[in-house]
Amino acid sequence: MSESSKIHVPDVPLGRLIRMPGGKTAGQAIADAEQGLASLQGESMKELNRVLAKAETFYARADGKFDALVVSAFYGLINGAIGLPTAGKDRAIDAMLLSLADLLDYYRTSGDWGDKSVQVHLATFQLLLKTEGIRDPQGTELILAGLKKVSRKAAKG
Amino acid sequence: MGFSSDPRARFNLEQVSILLLEETPLGMSILVQIMNGFGARKLHRCDTSAKAESVVRETQLDLLIVDAMASGGGYDFVHWLRSSGIRPNCYAPVLLTAAHTPAAAVTNARDCGAHIVMAKPLTPKAVLDRIIWVARAGRRFVESDKFVGPDRRFKEAGVPENVGVGRRREDAIPGKG
Repeated sequence: MSESSKIHVPDVPLGRLIRMPGGKTAGQAIADAEQGLASLQGESMKELNRVLAKAETFYARADGKFDALVVSAFYGLINGAIGLPTAGKDRAIDAMLLSLADLLDYYRTSGDWGDKSVQVHLATFQLLLKTEGIRDPQGTELILAGLKKVSRKAAKG
Repeated sequence: MGFSSDPRARFNLEQVSILLLEETPLGMSILVQIMNGFGARKLHRCDTSAKAESVVRETQLDLLIVDAMASGGGYDFVHWLRSSGIRPNCYAPVLLTAAHTPAAAVTNARDCGAHIVMAKPLTPKAVLDRIIWVARAGRRFVESDKFVGPDRRFKEAGVPENVGVGRRREDAIPGKG
């Protein structure tokens, strides 16, 4: 081992503090946290609608071709939205956002642009927002599986 | 690496001083709701790395939950924390949250010095399981020229059987991890 490296076990108070009397059971804590998240559902849906509107603006600005600034901002927008839907218990929208983020990350590193691939993601985003709470689970799974294929096909070129 | 927590097990976060670094307001609200649900009372909310650095300098922290952020600033903050020499905060457990990790940032995510990287979307159970895991004492810390952070060496047991293909596009390509 080099002279400039060392391995040690630092004192970490978290372990002692977490064992102090009182507190909650894990089951109760998780239930309370989920209740807290449920209170954010309205705000989450409002924000997702805003994200969709902004995403459509970026898509229009790209105008069918790669634009480094637009793609970078588009990626940042979608990346920032990941996690918001699941707070409102909507994993399908999160799965779509992850697929779109993966696709946009590929475009921003490769300089490519797939207009139809982005369009189908945005159409899915719109559909999922409109059908929130009334979706057919099997149909939704098929749509999301299709989006994954679109992203992976784009990456293979 | 077992994460699962027993639903009947008790834990107490009331006296735990926690820094939250998350740049989006709703993302921060999500973290706060989760931590409040867990009973945590001492939350230091930061929406920029600069504010987080200020808190690290002024307050003793027991846990940090840091978002990678679209700019990758979260990785830089954790790297700064580990190299800062501000004791004991530089050794505090860090959970890093990340939405989509761009290909260019995977190495950075691995090497920044966080104890655990949690993929978004976050669920309360996943967050709690990881807090309880990092709270276990005895985790070795490595300080060298090239890396400062928790010892990353684990037994090479491979991916558990019930874990499917990862979500990165490369995960579907045969031969790649």
